[in-house]
Amino acid sequence: MIELRELEVMYGKRRVLHGINLTLKRGESLSIVGESGGGKTTLGLSIIGLVEGTVRGEILFEGKNLVALAEKELKAIRWNRIAMVFQNVENALNPLYTVLDQVSEPIVVHKLGDRNEATRRAGELLNRVNLPEGRFYAYPHQLSGGEKQRVLIAMALANDPDLIIMDEPTTALDALTKVEIINLIHTVCKERELTILLLTHDFYAASTLSDRMAVLYAGRIVEFGSTPALLSNPRHPYTRGLLRCYPSMTTTKDLQGIKGRMEFFDVGCPFHPRCTQSIGICREKAPRLEKNDGRFIACHRGGIIPLLELRDLSKSFDSLKAVDSIDLTLYEGETLALVGESGSGKTTTAKLIMGIFGATEGRIYLEGKQILGRDKSFYQRVQMIFQNPMESLSHRLSVLEAVREPLDVQKLGNREQRESMVRQILDEVELPSSETFLNKYPHQLSQGEAQRVGIARALILNPKLLIADEPTSALDASTQAKVVKLLLNLQEKRGIGMLFITHNLALARKISDRLAVMLKGIIVEEGPSNEIVSSPLHPYTEDLLKAAPTLSSRVHAVPERTSERNDGTGCPYANRCNKVTEVCFNEKQRLSSLSTHKVACMLCTATD
Amino acid sequence: MKLPEIGTYAIAFLIILALIFLLPRMMPGDPLTAICGEEVLVEMTPELKAELVHRFALDEPLWSQFFVYLTGIMHGDFGYSYYYNAPVLEIILEALPWTLLLVGTSLVLSTVLSIIIGIESGWRRGKVSDKFLLTTTMILNGFPDFFIGIILLLLFAVYLGCLPLQGAKTPYSDLSGINSMLDIAQHLVLPLIALTLAQLPGSYLLMRNTMITTLKEAFVRTAKAKGLSEVAVRYKHAGRNALLPIVTTTGVRVGIIFTGALFIEIIFSYPGVGLLSYNALLMRDYPILQGVFFIVAVFVILANFVVDLLYTKIDPRIGVDNTEYAH
Repeated sequence: MIELRELEVMYGKRRVLHGINLTLKRGESLSIVGESGGGKTTLGLSIIGLVEGTVRGEILFEGKNLVALAEKELKAIRWNRIAMVFQNVENALNPLYTVLDQVSEPIVVHKLGDRNEATRRAGELLNRVNLPEGRFYAYPHQLSGGEKQRVLIAMALANDPDLIIMDEPTTALDALTKVEIINLIHTVCKERELTILLLTHDFYAASTLSDRMAVLYAGRIVEFGSTPALLSNPRHPYTRGLLRCYPSMTTTKDLQGIKGRMEFFDVGCPFHPRCTQSIGICREKAPRLEKNDGRFIACHRGGIIPLLELRDLSKSFDSLKAVDSIDLTLYEGETLALVGESGSGKTTTAKLIMGIFGATEGRIYLEGKQILGRDKSFYQRVQMIFQNPMESLSHRLSVLEAVREPLDVQKLGNREQRESMVRQILDEVELPSSETFLNKYPHQLSQGEAQRVGIARALILNPKLLIADEPTSALDASTQAKVVKLLLNLQEKRGIGMLFITHNLALARKISDRLAVMLKGIIVEEGPSNEIVSSPLHPYTEDLLKAAPTLSSRVHAVPERTSERNDGTGCPYANRCNKVTEVCFNEKQRLSSLSTHKVACMLCTATD
Repeated sequence: MKLPEIGTYAIAFLIILALIFLLPRMMPGDPLTAICGEEVLVEMTPELKAELVHRFALDEPLWSQFFVYLTGIMHGDFGYSYYYNAPVLEIILEALPWTLLLVGTSLVLSTVLSIIIGIESGWRRGKVSDKFLLTTTMILNGFPDFFIGIILLLLFAVYLGCLPLQGAKTPYSDLSGINSMLDIAQHLVLPLIALTLAQLPGSYLLMRNTMITTLKEAFVRTAKAKGLSEVAVRYKHAGRNALLPIVTTTGVRVGIIFTGALFIEIIFSYPGVGLLSYNALLMRDYPILQGVFFIVAVFVILANFVVDLLYTKIDPRIGVDNTEYAH
């Protein structure tokens, strides 16, 4: 129905839209999401020819190029074929005319009926959008925000258009009104088989009102695909950043921002200054929007890159399989929490990655390259922080020496440079960098300070991957909160990928994007943290969640051992599972995908 | 309009009355001269003096003088001009229609003109036509009110001789009906243009500015998106919203335009209230001056009252029924 080809809009010398290509079929709904100032409204206005800049490229509406059309022909298309629902801010309605007048105006102007007919139709539409009859002759200032938004919707419907562009139709509305408006738009659009272009920064509106979604950043589309796919699995760093900023009832991770602020670039990827995985080419050349795994992504690195990949990784100590052929992927800038009880093989996994143990079987990839041997450059990329900060720091090294040690080992910089780097990193982990503090020894530090020194030591080489093995379990609650916040801030700033090993599920969901639940060397369930927490599939995960701390006075029931049988051939949870069947004892279930999760359970796979 | 607002006008009116009453009595010298004008001295006899003192209650306290003054005004007694040898009211009523004709036409003309060129100029902001209008008005604005009048007089009445030099109608002519009206119109042209041009720049600049701000409002974009014609967007949506400040200032302008009329009437010897008060000033004919002050004050107050009434008609956000739907 409408197709944008290489659409460009310039305001003077400032290019606000860059090479936009989009197609919208009849009856489809597409949302354009992104921060304010990214060019959403410009995109909408350019379609009805009301943008004040110069427009290049083509906007094909049923084969006609709107960009080249004469003003007179455009006027005939406006509102008759393409209407717009404006955001209800700063006088979107004329304050001097009654709402009935304003809804009927386009009917009269486009000669679709005389005054009486127009008034009658306007009345019907206002009825349709549930505006109380008594308000028809009201002036805009006499209506509430929700009512004005209803009027704006009725007005857009006046001439029975085919395409409706909605510019932030739900912003600035309170929660209940917002839902009412979204439902109204939803039913009205279904009723009339309208094609919708929704411009919004509200993921809730986008998720309920659109089939497909395009993410617009600084005038370029950076990711484009089906709405549910983009929301559950964002692949462009910007999309992920936006979703991390958006509080919803299913968000579990603490809100994180995107570093820096939006700027427009003519050369290079517009997102590169804020991107934590940008490389040389990102600054020089803007990436094209390319098809990638069922969606379109504009990124030189093909979207968020996998930082660490474990493939069929196993470790046996004699007959004990401590880690039993696990597969895990950790993406750039995200936290993967590895959750499980003591002895489940979490720490062994960490040690396998660090090379403290050699793997019995399997491969480890770092940034796409298989790790065969670990030299100094490996430890510049991968660092670890430990459970007990006091013991992980040498008693004989001062803070300065401990934090500087990795630099000494890597022979980076001279003495003064190293010292200033130490001060800088101490600042970053919110520790004093005074002379007195630098000369302190571990026993003079508090637990929290010691763990921060440990974090500073790990981060001084600016690693991409941080393995954190129970980094807060030895700390008291307030110190733990501070350390967790610090880690999240560092992640936002540097894009560190974190493998966060913990037995505390309540903590894991606050810090992680994805969760992997480990039991007796195998991963029994893996997926986005919020979904694992809200709808666990594996009985073990369910039991872990039941046992997770709440502040109610209810006593938690611990699953009882239902059987003494466990020879290691079947499901590792078979002897404690209350849904156990005979098969569970005999056959080990492989991890298989189920909706957005991966789960290794006979019962879950069977019910699907 | 609500009652308290009418009350405000009543208070303003009373204050003006009190000022007109007090001013001559506070002037240095004989209050009698100040009240009756210097001409009275010519025929002053002790009897007359006694009678006048009694009439104005000058031998009584101030408040009873004010009471006498008020009762006088209620009966249409604005005093007696000894220069014209006639009651003040009679003389003012003779001059008033001319001034009302001049001021009224000029007020309407300058307002309508400034609205139209303000809307067009604001719409074309930055284009040649806008710049031309802006520059022309700025130059006009730089001249004193009477300067334009003198230039017009010299050009059209003296050199070209196509329009009458002075007065409001041809003296001693016995025109009637349509010819009389044409004659009056001919005499009106030059003073009217002079007064209107002097009034125009301020309103035009205000209108243009408001228009420019209004054009940035979201509802203008809505109107354009609805596929409305440019004229409808310009006048029905943007223009009508931009009108509000102009209407407000028109009330204020009534006072200013009377002052402007004073100069213009003098230049063109136009027999209105302005020329009358000029002559009265020269002759120290105080009763006439006080009468003129009073009449002008009444008109300014009336004009503001009308503007207030008008305002509620143009802007639904101001008015009595405001609370009906409010949340």
